[in-house]
Amino acid sequence: MMELTALQQDALVELLNIGFGRAAASLSQLTGHRVLLDVPQVTLHAVDEVGEALERLVHGHVASVHQIFTGPVAGDALLILDESGAAILKELLTNEPALPLSIDASAREVITEVGNILLNACLGTFGNLLKVQVSFSVPHLSIENVGAILESLMVAHQGIRYALVVHAGFRLRDTQVTGYLMIVLSVASLDRLIHAVEDWEQAQR
Amino acid sequence: MKAKILIVDDSAMARRGVRHVLESAGYDVVEAEDGLIALEGYFLDKPDLVVLDLVMKGMNGLDVLKKLQEMDAGVRVLVVSADVQDSSRELAVSGGASGFLTKPVDRAGLLTAVAKALEATA
Repeated sequence: MMELTALQQDALVELLNIGFGRAAASLSQLTGHRVLLDVPQVTLHAVDEVGEALERLVHGHVASVHQIFTGPVAGDALLILDESGAAILKELLTNEPALPLSIDASAREVITEVGNILLNACLGTFGNLLKVQVSFSVPHLSIENVGAILESLMVAHQGIRYALVVHAGFRLRDTQVTGYLMIVLSVASLDRLIHAVEDWEQAQR
Repeated sequence: MKAKILIVDDSAMARRGVRHVLESAGYDVVEAEDGLIALEGYFLDKPDLVVLDLVMKGMNGLDVLKKLQEMDAGVRVLVVSADVQDSSRELAVSGGASGFLTKPVDRAGLLTAVAKALEATA
């Protein structure tokens, strides 16, 4: 199993802190609530273990916004919210009451755009810092269980053996909205990412 | 005369937000939910400014910008995108955009950028 060195892990977490921090700032600006962000976690998994790893974080039915990104570093970026969190977020952004556990058309539209903003803020910041151009697919919202989301990721990643999973949990203060920002990269991208992160880390000295 | 602004974004939420700010400041607003409708709208409505998203279904914003330039070399386009990459900003500006804002936009920032882009029209 591949391992990241302590230096690589440290540089990667710092990069993620900046990227996820930018996403959190955007969410705070959108909602008017302070966003509490966990320290990003970086883990490397064999592809067949990714599902198990993600299911430890989120269970059951969730709302997820998925964007595929391509370029020198490519992979999948996800915003994951539980259903009630997604409904509350819609309420915060539209001032329209949401039925408990209800993801209506208006909520779908709001959550998709929020996902678009957060994922772009995060990945775009990585692109800026690492000096690589990243292209994004249009965001896709799914309301399904975690297993189904993972299946679609695994289909897209057929033929790869390892995946880097980075994630950070967040919570909107004074609300019940919690969620995860998550990025899944293939090892081919990981190699390029590590080199870019090392260059970036050198440039900071 | 009130300036007319075409908002091009595949997100209804994003269009609503921008429309609200622009209408409250006295602008006339028309909308398009994708690139092709935007090109048609530009031809029919002859707006003074286009507020353009980048990542959209079908034609992406940079392609729409290029087509608009081909239709009208004097077109004024303000890009409003979630894409925060410097390289995307450079591509948009070198493609002829008058300005580039990243989402989420605040009211003051949007109105300042719109006024500046419209000033350049005069």
